Amino acid sequence: MEAVKTDDRPTILKVENVGKKYIIKNLKTLPADASGMQKLRYRLKKYEKKDFWALKDISFEIKKGERLAIVGRNGAGKSTMLKLISRITEPTEGRIEYYGRVAAMLEVGTGFNLELTGRENVYLNGAILGMTKEDIDARFDSIVDFSEIGEFIDTPVKRYSSGMLVRLAFAVASTMDPDILIVDEVLSVGDMKFREKCLRRMDEIAQSGKTIICVSHVMTIVRGLCNRAIVLDKGKMIYNGEVEHAIKLYNGINEAARITSRDLDDLPRPKFLNEKMRMLHVDVLDNKTCIYNWNEPIRFRVRAEAKTDAEDVSVRAVFRCDNGTPAAVAFLPLHADFKAGDVKEIEVSVDRHNLAPGDYKVALDLTQDNPYDIYNNVDSVSPEAFFITVRNIGAEEHAVEDNSARLWLSSWGHSRIMDVTGKVVE
Amino acid sequence: MKKKNRDDSGGLKTVIEPNGKNYQYWKDIWRYRGLALNLAKRDITVRYKQTVIGLGWSIISPVINMLIMTFIFGSVANLQSDGTAPYDVMVYAGIIPWTLFSKNLSLASTTFLSSAALMKKVYFPRIISPAGGSLAALIDSLISFGVLLLIILISHLTEGFTPSWRIVLVPLLFVFPILLGFFIGLFLSPLNIRFRDLNQAIPFFLQIGQYVTPVAYSFAVACAAVPEKFRFIYSLNPVAGAVNVVRWCIIPDNEFHWPSFISMLVFIVAFIPIGIKAFRKGERTFVDLV
Repeated sequence: MEAVKTDDRPTILKVENVGKKYIIKNLKTLPADASGMQKLRYRLKKYEKKDFWALKDISFEIKKGERLAIVGRNGAGKSTMLKLISRITEPTEGRIEYYGRVAAMLEVGTGFNLELTGRENVYLNGAILGMTKEDIDARFDSIVDFSEIGEFIDTPVKRYSSGMLVRLAFAVASTMDPDILIVDEVLSVGDMKFREKCLRRMDEIAQSGKTIICVSHVMTIVRGLCNRAIVLDKGKMIYNGEVEHAIKLYNGINEAARITSRDLDDLPRPKFLNEKMRMLHVDVLDNKTCIYNWNEPIRFRVRAEAKTDAEDVSVRAVFRCDNGTPAAVAFLPLHADFKAGDVKEIEVSVDRHNLAPGDYKVALDLTQDNPYDIYNNVDSVSPEAFFITVRNIGAEEHAVEDNSARLWLSSWGHSRIMDVTGKVVE
Repeated sequence: MKKKNRDDSGGLKTVIEPNGKNYQYWKDIWRYRGLALNLAKRDITVRYKQTVIGLGWSIISPVINMLIMTFIFGSVANLQSDGTAPYDVMVYAGIIPWTLFSKNLSLASTTFLSSAALMKKVYFPRIISPAGGSLAALIDSLISFGVLLLIILISHLTEGFTPSWRIVLVPLLFVFPILLGFFIGLFLSPLNIRFRDLNQAIPFFLQIGQYVTPVAYSFAVACAAVPEKFRFIYSLNPVAGAVNVVRWCIIPDNEFHWPSFISMLVFIVAFIPIGIKAFRKGERTFVDLV
């Protein structure tokens, strides 16, 4: 666990043996041959109560300035943990201690009143988040500015588009200045442009040395924002330490294991495809985990069969993010000719330096050059052929020659343009 | 020690433990006082958004109420007014404290349900939510008091009624029905989480209460109507105490009624701790129950 370094920063939050129990009611089952007495008892008491521990024996600490991610599947207890820290509900056992003020960036629109104007809502929402009137006064202009609401600030928010509402809510929430900031899946808001702006703001907050606790299912956000992570699974903490390892664990929980070898024949194909070719199988080469560090090329081998004669066949790989956004494309500058019935294997090696750290789905297409349509797909697997994770580990050694490689902010996008030249014009 | 909130919070230690041990509950309430103000503002603004006469409604409804009561009890039933006061002045002087009491009671008792959406998402001392509502009710009452002064002025010009000098105390006396209603409401609030019946029952009992309490008629008339042996018990109605004391301040020849006043004080003193205790118990668990 790399995170356990000697760290002389003061502890700002301490969670000790915390557990949260809920009592759930289950409908009892009545045996088919129940006696009259049993039936009567069943009528009176249909439900049996059961203890359910949403969290159990959770202990961790956060130092001042640390940015902790809480990772886990739905129902792992992440939100319960945040609710305990933000005092919305109290633990059943254990103890939480912190210094200063905790504030949560809320689900967008909580505490907004649709009848009130934007301005009135800014003050109301600010007060709900624990800001004083002077706080809000001082930030009002920057809130309006950030939200791009402009002249609509005195219009009732029920007349706002949903995007405007979301922008205003985020703008208010992100100007909070608590000692510990809780971020719970609020970043996927608004249109692309605003989302970028939100991420940039979050990056700024993260770089400003603020203590952050973040819950997200989007691993690129976790990577970009946090420098430590804990993994929860079924209410228990199974890991506390380095972000990359936590993500690996989380993905492990997610998919059991990464596939390095996969039959593609059965996968669905898009409609209206000219199926001259059929990809049968893909093997990921030289890598058992599909996790790529710095300087490790992504290599794979595709086996394909020709249904009819096909010339100039090549491979195209599209890298998509967690959420499906295409991030980058790779063309193999090599062509193969097939006769009907031929089965051939094509090996591809992709340099990953241009790709941001993150999880990607790799979709494969077979393309055929022809004089009329250069992007003629002859086969295509969707949504993806295999998963990969790209990491920046190992980049430090290259930092001298390539300083920007060490760090990749989420607001920088997913791929980097290489071969940039320029000169200083005096 | 009393620095501005945000600056000294850096070192402020918070401990969260089971069973609601919270060492800075009262400090938190003070820190969130701005929220109560904002909630009150929201209540009032939202209520009159997109209405033509806006705040006028908070004048019209008690005035109409007063006119109806004056007509039924004063003109039709021909009941005696209180001392020299015109019937409408007496009724209106009763409506204000009664409304304060009943509004405070109902908003405090339903607070966990009406603000559940917010309380499940954000922490703030829960008592801030009903306190905001209570503040809004107080503002309404102050407007009503202005209307009362106007009514008195009119009856001074038309019937020659002159109020007692004690009328200047009236706004201060609003504290009694507020405390009474608010803390009884807090006491009922956790019950309202489990037994939603209260949601239906409370308005119903408040409606009965309005007729039991001398709002539409004078206390003297009511006492005369109650059989001799129940008269003392009847006069212990704490809300009657809150109403009587307001009337005493307005009507010059009204005699101060001690039993109801003392009963009211006893109720208030008793329900403040009982109400707070019940409410704090409720606020710890309601998120998991609502």
